[in-house]
Formats: sequence, C-alpha cells, structure tokens
Amino acid sequence: MNRRKFAKMALASGLASQLPQANATAPQQTDSWAAQFKRAQTEHPWLLAYRNVQQPAFAAQAKLLGKWPTELRGTLYRNGPAQHEVHGYRYHHWFDGDGMLQAYHINDDGIRHHARLIATHKVLAEQDAGRALYPGFASAPPNPAAVTSPDAVNVANISVLPHHNKLLALWEAGSPWEMDPETLQTNGTYAFSEDTSGVPFSAHPRVEADGTLWNFGYVSAAKIFVLWHINAKGKLVKIGKIPCDPITMVHDFVVTQNHIVMLVPPFHYAPGAATNTFLDAHQWRPDDATRVLVVDKNDFSNFYWLELPAQWVFHFGNGWEDEAGVIRFDAARAEDPMAMIHAFREVMRGNIVPASASHHYQYRIDTKKRTISEIPLFHNRLDSEFPCVDPRISCQRNDKLTFLSSHQDRPAVHGLLNEVSTFDFRSGKRDSYRYPDQIMPEEHLFIPAPGSQPETAGWILGSALDWQAKMHKLFVFDAQRVSDGPLAEAHLPYALPFGLHGKFQAA
Amino acid sequence: MKYKLIITLAGSLWAIAWTQMVSADTLHIVITNVSSSDGTVMVQVLNSQAQFEGEGQVAAFAEQAVSGEMRFQAANLPPGEYAFRVMHDENNNGKLDSNFVGMPKEPWAFSNNAMGNFGPAKWQDAKFTLAGETTQTIQLN
Repeated sequence: MNRRKFAKMALASGLASQLPQANATAPQQTDSWAAQFKRAQTEHPWLLAYRNVQQPAFAAQAKLLGKWPTELRGTLYRNGPAQHEVHGYRYHHWFDGDGMLQAYHINDDGIRHHARLIATHKVLAEQDAGRALYPGFASAPPNPAAVTSPDAVNVANISVLPHHNKLLALWEAGSPWEMDPETLQTNGTYAFSEDTSGVPFSAHPRVEADGTLWNFGYVSAAKIFVLWHINAKGKLVKIGKIPCDPITMVHDFVVTQNHIVMLVPPFHYAPGAATNTFLDAHQWRPDDATRVLVVDKNDFSNFYWLELPAQWVFHFGNGWEDEAGVIRFDAARAEDPMAMIHAFREVMRGNIVPASASHHYQYRIDTKKRTISEIPLFHNRLDSEFPCVDPRISCQRNDKLTFLSSHQDRPAVHGLLNEVSTFDFRSGKRDSYRYPDQIMPEEHLFIPAPGSQPETAGWILGSALDWQAKMHKLFVFDAQRVSDGPLAEAHLPYALPFGLHGKFQAA
Repeated sequence: MKYKLIITLAGSLWAIAWTQMVSADTLHIVITNVSSSDGTVMVQVLNSQAQFEGEGQVAAFAEQAVSGEMRFQAANLPPGEYAFRVMHDENNNGKLDSNFVGMPKEPWAFSNNAMGNFGPAKWQDAKFTLAGETTQTIQLN
C-alpha cells in the first residue's frame, strides 16, 4: 500500500459518495405526506396518477376497442416511478418513485400487458429492512443508511432500452439494469465493460438507424460529463470525460451526423453542509447563461462551448446537421426548472402548484462560425413535452415531430398535457387530437409502418391514465391523421402510476 | 547511597513507564463486513490533513483477508488527532480498483465510517481524537 494508491482510493471513494449522506443521528421526522396526499385525492381524483403502486406486479389481457392495425406488431416497453411509498414513508418527489417496468405485447392474439417492480439494490434492501433506508433525489427518510455508491440508490425509473438483444431499464445517475424481456425480472446492473461498471449512463441514449448508440452521464462530485459510444452489438467503442464546472443534472442531449450537443442550464450543483438531498444541492441562477457543449462525435477531446439565455430543457426531439455544417435541433424549453423543484415535489402531498410550462423551440448552431440561436416553433400558449421522431431517422434530418401538447385556452382539469400533436416542419402545420379530461396521456411514440419510407406511414402509440374509470389505456392513431382521433384502444383492468418513457420493439 | 540509587532508578523506570502510559496510546481497529477471504485488507493510519490528502502516513498494515471481521492494532501512538482508511484489495493487484470515473469497485472504508456529504470524505469527517485505548469499529462498504 503506498501513498499514491491511497490518494487514489480517497478520490475514488469521494466520487462514490456523490449522492447525499444524511446524518444518521437525525431525529425521527413526523411526516404527514401520505395522509395529506390521501386527503387531497378526494378533491382532485386525478391525483390517482401519483398514487403508490398497489401491487409489485400486474398482468392482464387488454380489452380491445376499435380496429387495431394488423401490421402493428411488437412490444411497447415503458418505465416510470411507481412505488411512491415504502413501509409508510411517502417520497417527497415524483422522481423518487421506484421504477416499474411494463410491457404491452401486441400480437395476433391481442394485447397482453405485464408490469413488474424493478428489483433494484435499494428495493431489495428496503424490503429486508422493513423501512425506507436511503435518501433519494429529493426525499430524505429519517435515520437513513449510508449511500456507498450511486447504484445503491439507483431507482431505475426513467426509461427502457431494447438494444443488442438486451433489455435495459435506465436511470440517469448510475448503471443500467438488465431485465428479462419476457418475465420482466431484474437480472442486475449491466456494464458495457469492466472498466465502465457503475459509470452513470443516462436515460435518453440516442440510437441511430444502424444501432449505433450514443449516451452521456454526469458525475456531479467530480464535475465531469461522460460520453459513451457503443456499437449495434453492444460493444463499447469509446468513452470520454469532459470537465464542466459548475455542473448540473442533465436529462437528455442531441446527436447529429457529426456532433454531440448538450445544454447545461444554470442550475448549479453547489451542495452545502446542510444539504441532504440531491435536488436541494442545486441552485437556480437565472442571470447565468445556459452553456451549450458541442463535441466532435468522432473525437470526444475536441469540443467547445456556446451560450444561450438561462432556460431549462428536459427533452429534445431530434438533432441533425446539413452539409454546410449547420445543426438544427428542437426542445421542449421552459424558462426555469420550477416544475421539477416545486410542482413535482408538492404534488406528492397533493398540493397543486403552478409551474412554468415548456414551449417548443428550434435551435440552430453554425459549426463553422460557432454561433447558436433559438426560435419558438409555436405560439406561447401551446405547451409541449415528450417530443420524438421516427426512430429510423434518429440523428439525421427530420421533417416531422410527434409530441404531447396543451393549449392554455383549453386546459384539462388535471392541468397537465392533454393533446397528442404532430408537426410538419416543411408545411408548418400542426395536427392534434385533444383527449377528454379524464384521460391523462403519457409519452406517445411514432411507430413506423413496416416497409414504409421514413416519416410517412406509421402510427402514434401512447398510453394514458383514465382517472375516472381508474384504468390504464393504450391508444393508437394514424400518424398522418392524428386529429381524426384514435384508431383503436386497449383497456387494462387496472390503473398504474403515471409513467415516464418507453420504447417500441417491432416483432 | 545504594538505596538512594535504587530508589532513583526505580523512580526513573516508573517515570519512563508512566510517560509511556500517558504519551503512547493504542488504536484498535475492528473491520466488519469483510466480504471474502480473497486478497488483502490494507489499513493506513494518518495524523494530519496533509497525510489524509496523500502526504505520508503514521502506520500501515496489510493482512490476508479473513471473511467477516478483522482486527488491527496500532500501538505507541502519541495522543492526538488521527484518521485511517481501509481497502480490501480482493484481487491482490495492489490497488483499489475503480471504474472509468474513479468510483471504487472494491470495498473501502474510512475511520468514523465517514462517507462525506456530496463529495469526498474529508479529514474533518474521518478524524478522531486518540486518548488512551481507543477502538474504532468500521464497516467495509
């Protein structure tokens, strides 16, 4: 044992503890969140969306209505926070919920749904302990256990990725989880190589049509971003580190034919001595710029920074680059992260807090001149989120976009997004369908029709919570005529907690 | 004269012994949660922030790992502030294996079971006062 090794060890263990360690001698909290939430449900029945999951697993054959397209065959995998209460302790943030993986298997026999709570280290440890053990994204249960690595508190609750014959459940500050695609059982954390075991792998990897996968991760304590390049067979091609100080949490990014683009909002990671959750370790500084990181896809050491006004982005639709070296990409852009800081926290105890909505913007980077600009795509009364494109043109030019929206003049009683929209960049036309108020749509995806040209024939497939009927439903639309309403529906005999992201794997 | 010499000598010996009792203490380190008997458990005892940050050490031990619990003893330490760190080099390659971003892949621990709060465990978190016989029981992570 020598000095250098121990110095390395000290550094290493410091990084491992990037997540919060609350004081083990903290007094017992009297916590009324579960009771407050229960009371609020009588006034706002749509809060069913944030109810604790009722069972660790679900399975049912869906009841079909309408005419399901015969060519639409495959599995829609979805993920999202579901277990919001652990042995009576209700989490203080929507994003803290332990992940539940779902599969809608669509085949000639109909639609079979299956869901299972992901058996993370945290879920298993808390089952054994009989109590909430760990501080999370914005929750700090009393008398917490020590967090020895990010994966100790990895809740695997953001998205899912079928890739190289694996099914991975994704969080953003730790490892992916390898899941059994049939039983949805958890096989454990997944590593792309020995050296990258435990390295953060975010929930929004970009996968090109040929299967090439790009992703990023952030290591807040070390103030670095990690960039991943993985081939279609799941082999790690390269991985790089980019320093970023101050750093922040980043949820999604953009990949084009030649570049990787990341927006780094001024939500600075600056933990203080009294900080006890990861979210509270960040400070919103609206007078600071949003830094824009532009990286050469082929050489992660070749990068530069641009600046935009302060803004908060969870999701990008797609990015691409023309022959003149001009990058275009789109994003659901909010003025600030107050939805995450306040609304998604307070809703867990049934408080409905207004927060700045996101509006869709298009961005333009001239890589020759190293300039960036942004323009709104729609009027400022159209809220947007969950943008996506035909997966066959991912990281290449897209002329169309699918997203959820809400017109501020026609809000839903639940206050969240209530429309599914498609947009054609060439014609400038938006097509949309407004769901009735008892339907709370989750992310909707563009599913290409087999054999069609990109961005032509296909379907929009998305799930939703019907809070009046207390059931989850799957809807399918003709992608070219969304405003006609759903072609067909599939009804499940149960309601699941409101989820986040999914991926469709064609049969 | 002879008695006086004997008394003086005895007094000196006593004084020496007494001095040793008050100025040289023993640190007992109990390490729990040793996950296997593979490899080596290493302990490094430090007495300053500079040492904690990598500049030297007071004492170091390396023993064949024993699954479960292991004990180390650092004797004859002057009273004062100390910290120590432990690693379980499971594959005996002489280092704490870590991943691409420096997160450890082998078990480790600090005195006081210090974990740090949003960053590396610091000297302030891991230090303790050695006064008399002191035992620290540490759980490997």
